[in-house]
Amino acid sequence: MKEINLRIKSITGTKQITKAMELVAISKLTKAMDRITRCRPFYTELYAQLCDIAASSTAGESHFFAKREVKKTCLVVIAGDRGLAGGYNNNIFKYCDENFGGKDVCVLPIGKRSLDHFERRGYEIVSDDFASVEDIDVGDTFEISRMLTDMYSSGDFDELYCVYTNFASMLSQNPGSLKLLPLDESISSHKVELKRFLLIEPSPESVFDHIVPDGVAGLIWGAVCESYASELAARRVAMESATSNAEDIIADLQLKYNKARKSAITQQITEIVSGSQTE
Amino acid sequence: MSSFKLKIMSPDGIFYDGDAYQLSLRSVDGEVSILAGHIPYLTAVGIGECRLYEQSGEKPRRAACCGGMLSVDDEGVLLAPTTFEWAKDIDIERAKAAKTKAEQRLAEPTSSAKKGMAKLKLQRANLRISIAEKEKS
Repeated sequence: MKEINLRIKSITGTKQITKAMELVAISKLTKAMDRITRCRPFYTELYAQLCDIAASSTAGESHFFAKREVKKTCLVVIAGDRGLAGGYNNNIFKYCDENFGGKDVCVLPIGKRSLDHFERRGYEIVSDDFASVEDIDVGDTFEISRMLTDMYSSGDFDELYCVYTNFASMLSQNPGSLKLLPLDESISSHKVELKRFLLIEPSPESVFDHIVPDGVAGLIWGAVCESYASELAARRVAMESATSNAEDIIADLQLKYNKARKSAITQQITEIVSGSQTE
Repeated sequence: MSSFKLKIMSPDGIFYDGDAYQLSLRSVDGEVSILAGHIPYLTAVGIGECRLYEQSGEKPRRAACCGGMLSVDDEGVLLAPTTFEWAKDIDIERAKAAKTKAEQRLAEPTSSAKKGMAKLKLQRANLRISIAEKEKS
């Protein structure tokens, strides 16, 4: 009986924690969703525009758009800072293994879990400056992008992907990847009609040298926003089910406790009655 | 009077989505103005003032606009800058603080990459201050 009581107490404690985490996730999620709605039009439009440019014939003049033989791939992997978000972190890593396993890969992790995961597995880490997905801001993504495009230009790697979690709805988030470099025709999912920019000033090369790092930064920022909201949504759902599990267990234990208490009382009464009869 | 469709969007959200008469801004190469009927055009945006004329002959709406790209095609004009702030939204105190910070950075002996960043920051801060002051006067 004492044991049951102890378990009820400890589970009540756990329930309070999961409930609190759920509430925190909900309040942060509202902010994160706000951020998504603000910047989603920007990066969808940006991506479409980059696709258009990639499909146009002038793009061949910049090394950012030219295909090259892939020896090494670089991944920007966005995961969470903390666990307890259901399968959120695992799904991302599984997706990485499925799609990029066996390739020569270096990783720029965003989020503490991502850093830990790839460090433990002995992957080459490009930079560990961006370990916290919660604190990252637009300026940081520009720094990341500048660094990566420089590395790409100097030939440190030949492909750049961003692996993130797409926030479809509160209940569904899917891991996905976005090809950032080179921006060849294969990136556009839909068939774009060939558009030709008649005038590119000052010169296609210098324009692309400016636009591409900015564009990559914008897309990484978009991916960060999506991932962060996904993490919070996943945590909310996980904590919600943990709380309701805890409630179930508590109800079950309470029943057991009451039964045990009742049978103990019954036994005591029988003992007293039988004791008084023998006298 | 002819107008064109203009969209201005940055990572911070959509700033303008509608018809415009003239858009003037600073590209990496110098000042450009877009009117209706421009040929397909693509350029990188520099650090400078952006002026938007919704109607011809009206006073322009001013904004600080840095980085990103400007593209013109048959469907309309898309301005996707890195940062974009309407003059009335500029926090002048913050810009002044950023200015002094960048100046301090420049005075310190640091690597050339960091110096370059500080210089850009100073440029942006100066731009914000000048636009905000213009708006007031």
